Amino acid sequence: MSSEAETLRKKLAELLSWERRKRREQILATLFCYALLAALLTLPFHGFLETVISRWFIPISFFGLMAPFFLGRGRWRSSDSARALARVDKTLRLDERALTAWELLERNETRAAALMVLKQAEEKLTNLDPKALFRRSWSWQAYCAFPLLFLWLGLLWFDVGLRFDSDLQLSAPKSVAQKLREFSRELQEKAKNEGLHESFRMGRELEQVAQKGIDAKTGDEKFKADLAGMQKKIATMGKPAAEQQSLSAAESQQDLRDLKAELEAARDLFNIADAAKGAQELGKQWLDQLATLPQLKKQFEREGQAGQSLSQNDLKSFLDKLEKQATGELDRRTLLDAQQFLEQLRKQGQGEKGERDVRIAGQGERDSPDDGERTNNRSNLPGKEPGKREAESPSLPEFQPGAAAHLKGLLGEGNSSGLVLKAKPSAGKSEVSQDEVIASYRRQAEVELNTERVPEVLKDTIKNYFLSLGIGEGAK
Amino acid sequence: MEAVAEIEERMQRARRSFDDLKAEMARMIVGHEDLIEQVFIALVCGGHCLLEGVPGLGKTLMVRSLGEILSLSFSRIQFTPDLMPADITGTNVLTDDPSGRKIFEFQRGPVFAHIVLADEINRATPKTQSALLEAMQEQSVTVGGKVHRLENPFMVLATQNPIEMEGTYPLPEAQVDRFFFKLLLQYPTRDELARIADFTTAGPPAALREVLDTPDILQMRQWVRDVPLADIVKDYAVRLVLSTHPQREPGSEAAPLAQKFVLYGSSPRGLQSVILAAKARALLAGRPNVSFEDIRQMVLPSLRHRLILNLEADAEGIGADKILSEVVERVPEVS
Repeated sequence: MSSEAETLRKKLAELLSWERRKRREQILATLFCYALLAALLTLPFHGFLETVISRWFIPISFFGLMAPFFLGRGRWRSSDSARALARVDKTLRLDERALTAWELLERNETRAAALMVLKQAEEKLTNLDPKALFRRSWSWQAYCAFPLLFLWLGLLWFDVGLRFDSDLQLSAPKSVAQKLREFSRELQEKAKNEGLHESFRMGRELEQVAQKGIDAKTGDEKFKADLAGMQKKIATMGKPAAEQQSLSAAESQQDLRDLKAELEAARDLFNIADAAKGAQELGKQWLDQLATLPQLKKQFEREGQAGQSLSQNDLKSFLDKLEKQATGELDRRTLLDAQQFLEQLRKQGQGEKGERDVRIAGQGERDSPDDGERTNNRSNLPGKEPGKREAESPSLPEFQPGAAAHLKGLLGEGNSSGLVLKAKPSAGKSEVSQDEVIASYRRQAEVELNTERVPEVLKDTIKNYFLSLGIGEGAK
Repeated sequence: MEAVAEIEERMQRARRSFDDLKAEMARMIVGHEDLIEQVFIALVCGGHCLLEGVPGLGKTLMVRSLGEILSLSFSRIQFTPDLMPADITGTNVLTDDPSGRKIFEFQRGPVFAHIVLADEINRATPKTQSALLEAMQEQSVTVGGKVHRLENPFMVLATQNPIEMEGTYPLPEAQVDRFFFKLLLQYPTRDELARIADFTTAGPPAALREVLDTPDILQMRQWVRDVPLADIVKDYAVRLVLSTHPQREPGSEAAPLAQKFVLYGSSPRGLQSVILAAKARALLAGRPNVSFEDIRQMVLPSLRHRLILNLEADAEGIGADKILSEVVERVPEVS
């Protein structure tokens, strides 16, 4: 082969390689764009993924899924080479010399006329710089790729998919095992945050049980039977904790949390003071600071040590004891929650009622992390504001003595709780008078008030509320 | 390297000869540059041309001038309804040999020339027209069971008048298909008319110079076939021809006008004609290879007489040129 032919072959190879590279880049940009677009469109379903981290792999998965199609469709063919060379001929006005030369080279033609074509093509293409002559030009997909990437990252950062999913999941029916898994994860998270070892351990066990049920696709009824064992186990775990704890059961959960936080603060203070000052000054300073820690002060008063000057070791051991008690009590209550949840799960299956019970119980403390903070719904506005009676106000739902109408939530653990009406309201005029309904509610509230589950501080509020409704004693 | 130099020399010679031919023809014929090029292309390709145009546009003059410039023998046959085949091919006549015996001797007809002008070919009967058929295709005539070879190069330039259709016999499709090109003569422009007036009314006609001889033409015929053609370019020509067919292959480009108005598309001879003519055009342009533009330029003269249109096309005044223009516009160079 002549040197001209060799030079020309190299030049054409360089040109085609550049065009191939542009094609590959274009395909990748298109794939990238479509993968992100698909990830964005499926964002509402990201919450169904097992782990949160897997959401980050969704565009990669789409990329992988679409890649064979796009790479197959956009693979470099002989006609693409011909098209690229025809473009060279057009641009440089070579009258198809490059195209013909390329084919002659492929066929290894050695006729004089063919060599003439090669010679002329080589002369014209010697100084060709493909990158300068045929610059990259991006399609709209390439331009869209990065904005889509940023949009996707932004949405992921703000957990848009998960939020959407949590709304979606409320309306979607779930199996008992799925509900248990969800609950167990929440339980673990809560236990981890609050340092509740027993609850955390139980959460893990519950998740394992739920996961087994999901993997084995166990039916709800069978799974419920399995739950009985777990329920017993929780009850067993809760007993030692209940025996050990000495904090009042009337302490609300928020109080216990506050106490724990104050204990932490006190410990920090103790450490600083310990390092800086002598042991004699510690007691005095400790008493000064105690005024700013109400829960801790309450415990000191209860123990009758508020006015005493404590030694360093006594103080330390007292704080340790208190922390242990607070944690134990929180642990116990959390386990009690779990036990109740399992109980409700087992009872689930009697239609919508059970479903709703479970869901509300499952949300439990999560929905009201700060006890005493009230959300604005009809069922939890007792106490201080009796409300106004309006002529046009809708009648109360029909009360049926046999229906489940009870106080929801753990009454002993918060400043507020809700009264949930489980009977379905039906259209038409109410056949039961409002006085009768309120009297019925009042009777139930009084029963609950006699138990230790309703905090002392709330008892008066509840009583006042029913009194403010203006129902005479005779209505009882 | 020597071979390449030879090819380069060959291309230069071809181009120079063609330039000389055009210059010499311009001394006698005003305008019609494209037509002259196409006739010359047909000649170097070994084809025949059908010239169509109204009387007085210089058809006969052009053909005769071409014969003179190429130093080729030239004969003219005026086709009339009473013209007989023997008047074209020649006949056996009874004559005495030197010993006094009576023998049949073949008297060659006017077809025995390098360039034959068949003037108003559509005025003769189909029988007479078909006498040209064998001559055009086989380059020979058979008289009295004996085959007589015609001159080489041999070229028939037939003319027909598109407006005087009364008393004419339209050429059968098989015969039309044997013409390499069908060329249309356009009426001259204002400037060209003025120059024609000067040429023909002021002074004697110019004496023409021979620029090519028979061996040159035969050599050029060989060179034309040597011009390299890329497969992609050939495929373009194939797709163009296929697009003239209303019943196309599945997946081929559709040409709506062809679909609607063409009864039968181009024959394979059309493709041969397009490619060979494109090669000749490249050679005469001094180019070593065929370009897409060469193919495009040769589509109309090569294919316009090979499309058989339906009555609807006649009724709507749609001609083959319009259909082919659409085909050229629609078919991409690289599929």
